[in-house]
Amino acid sequence: MAFGVRLHVWGERACFTRPEMKVERVSYDVITPSAARGILEAVHWKPAIRWCVDRIHVLKPIRFESIRRNEVASKLPAGRVTKAMKAGSVDDVPQYVGVDRQQRAATILRDVGYVIEAHFTFTDRADDSDSPGKHLDIFNRRACQGQCFHNPCLGTREFPAAFALVEADADMPTVDSSLQGSRDLGYMLHDIDFANGNTPRFFRASMADGVIEVPPFVEALA
Amino acid sequence: MILTALNNYYQRLASQDKVPSFGFSSQKISYVLIFSMNGEPLQIADIRDATGKKPRPTLVPVPFDKGRASGIHAYPLWDKTAYAFGVAADGGERTGKEHAAFVARQKELFGVSDDPSLIAFLTLLDTWKPSKLETLPGYSADVLDANFVFRLDGRREYLHDNAAARAIWRQTLQGDVEAEGQCLITGETGPLGRSHPKIKEVNGAQQAGASLVSFNEKAYESYGNKGQANASISRLAIFGYSTALNHLLRRSNHNHQRLQMGDATVVFWAEAPDVKQAEAAESFFAAAYDSPTDEQEAARLGSVLDGIAQGRPLESLDPELHADTKFFVLGLAPNAARLSVRFWCASDLGQIVRHYVDHRRDLMLDPVPWKGVTPATWWLLRATAPNRNGKPNAKDILPQLAGEMTRAILTGSRYPRSLLANAIMRMRNDGDISGIRVALCKAVLAREARLGVYAPSHFQEGIPVSLDRQSTQPAYLLGRLFAELENAQRAALGKNLNATIRDRYYGAASATPASIFPMLLRNVQHHLSNMRKKDKGGLAHTIEGEIAGIIDGLGEQFPKSLRIEDQGRFAIGYYHQSHARFAKNTSTKNNPPQPEGE
Repeated sequence: MAFGVRLHVWGERACFTRPEMKVERVSYDVITPSAARGILEAVHWKPAIRWCVDRIHVLKPIRFESIRRNEVASKLPAGRVTKAMKAGSVDDVPQYVGVDRQQRAATILRDVGYVIEAHFTFTDRADDSDSPGKHLDIFNRRACQGQCFHNPCLGTREFPAAFALVEADADMPTVDSSLQGSRDLGYMLHDIDFANGNTPRFFRASMADGVIEVPPFVEALA
Repeated sequence: MILTALNNYYQRLASQDKVPSFGFSSQKISYVLIFSMNGEPLQIADIRDATGKKPRPTLVPVPFDKGRASGIHAYPLWDKTAYAFGVAADGGERTGKEHAAFVARQKELFGVSDDPSLIAFLTLLDTWKPSKLETLPGYSADVLDANFVFRLDGRREYLHDNAAARAIWRQTLQGDVEAEGQCLITGETGPLGRSHPKIKEVNGAQQAGASLVSFNEKAYESYGNKGQANASISRLAIFGYSTALNHLLRRSNHNHQRLQMGDATVVFWAEAPDVKQAEAAESFFAAAYDSPTDEQEAARLGSVLDGIAQGRPLESLDPELHADTKFFVLGLAPNAARLSVRFWCASDLGQIVRHYVDHRRDLMLDPVPWKGVTPATWWLLRATAPNRNGKPNAKDILPQLAGEMTRAILTGSRYPRSLLANAIMRMRNDGDISGIRVALCKAVLAREARLGVYAPSHFQEGIPVSLDRQSTQPAYLLGRLFAELENAQRAALGKNLNATIRDRYYGAASATPASIFPMLLRNVQHHLSNMRKKDKGGLAHTIEGEIAGIIDGLGEQFPKSLRIEDQGRFAIGYYHQSHARFAKNTSTKNNPPQPEGE
């Protein structure tokens, strides 16, 4: 596609959490389009563009690992902070981990590598100065130089992603032999529909020789 | 994938009528109240399962809408005595309210029906007094707080199985739809469920049951969704997966689809076009991972595993097993009121069997330290637990280790490195160099060598299965040397020693050989001269020759310290040499003895 880009991302660990197993985290087998979009947005994003993921290439075999971590059980309520701002004192604000500790297990992915193929479209906040060439150039330059707004992550912030641009005329990285053949991955989260009350949308994912075709977001509504 | 696979399994079970359909659930019921057409209670019948030491309630499919937490919620046509009769063991004030709620619910649901049994039942409730319960024949102290169902005298079915009652109940369920959305299990848009039934019978979890999908703290909610709204799953799918999982976890002598590995409860099931194929696959897996119960099964398992090791296809060894049967294994660990997934494996039977054969080959040691065809996984894990009062306790097995080891066996990936470290640590602490611990060390090292974990430039030798006299691996030779030195000590000082050098020096010898072996070699000369004095000259000569042969293979110096992998090889060398001695002794009984001085 004219505005298409290809980004190679990899990392030691990844956790693309299933929505239903969010407490004791279980990861999806592969990266979700929503996480892929997050990585692209970390490299380059403006309100004028919206990234749409077209295809995901899985490069490394799917391996899981189980870890346990101590976390807290509650979030800081916004009301407590506003009350402290009005009262001018932070005495009531702190949360103490000691009384709130919860141990949560997580089943995460090990040694992942993906190539994300995506394109961008313009939103209604684009104006005359925005052209496809301009944003494409910015993205390619930033991806080449390793520039990003914040470090892209593989699902959750504690698993950082390394990224490299796959040039338009360069060869794709090789896919591991264990991924040959077709595999059905069940229903995967496509993305969250922020415009309609934060509803999640799912799509039927199937992997053929390591390639997952991602339908456009509008189709995933059905 | 987990919930989708469970839901599919539910469809298969439902088509065989092994599980209740939507709106019903199998609950533990102990008694039946039989009543007459006039609404008079006649007697209490006991339907508990009396085969064991204590009578256990039977599982009966009854209408079920949602779990009862702390509020008052009455069930239709069945409930415990506090709700159904207003009688409870502790006689609290809530009992009256609970009974009133029960009566109100039955009237609300079934009041408009004109079925004679239901009318008789409602008459029974209208004229019921809590004091009547004790007067009925069949009453005993166990009746209080037990679950009751009802039956009309002269009918064979329970009241809730009545056709009219079922129709009304199904109608009621269609009724309250709260939210609609896309289900993440089936992908269809439909009414989404709010509450997930509890998963019972997981070892170590709460008695009332734990939840696989739950969001019981604020930190677990996202996008402002509360509770189960965080996971959009349709009601039918919720019912499907929870019923299938509860069915797999049920405690019964006929349930072979459930194992315990460490702290994780493991369930497994197969998906095949033919029911017999699926059941054959499941029983094969049960036999492989939990030692087979009878001789025939063990022999069959052994022949299949040997055939696979030779590279023959699965179908040719056993016509009922097919390599492409889909197989699922789920390990659940308890975490207070929640369940966490310890591991999940979805692959086909061919791969699982092949990985199991690899595991057995990696573990194999000669002489074989286990009885039977293959060691059960839980027994392997127990070898890593400390021997308290002579017996290892399953609770001492590290849970992470159990989960990762099972995952390694199922998927063929590397064993957890902590397995090697734990086995060596156990051997040093207990002084018990048991065959199974040595086999675990060997398995870790053999698999790493096979998978080519280290770069080819790094010297990686294979691990011998039986005694290898030609090996020049220094740690292996040191292990063999240690075994011979212990042999010399035993031969010189007699069988009834309180502590041999193994008890005193094994740990130090295996970790820092350079500081221990010179001293041991000095002492062995005394033992050898002792033996010559006691007329055991021939034995002394043999041992001397053996020691010389081993030291020949060692380099100029004893290594100052051994890495953890080499400590594993040390243990393997020790085991091989000490057991080869026994084998040699038994063979010399059969063969004529060697002339002395040879």
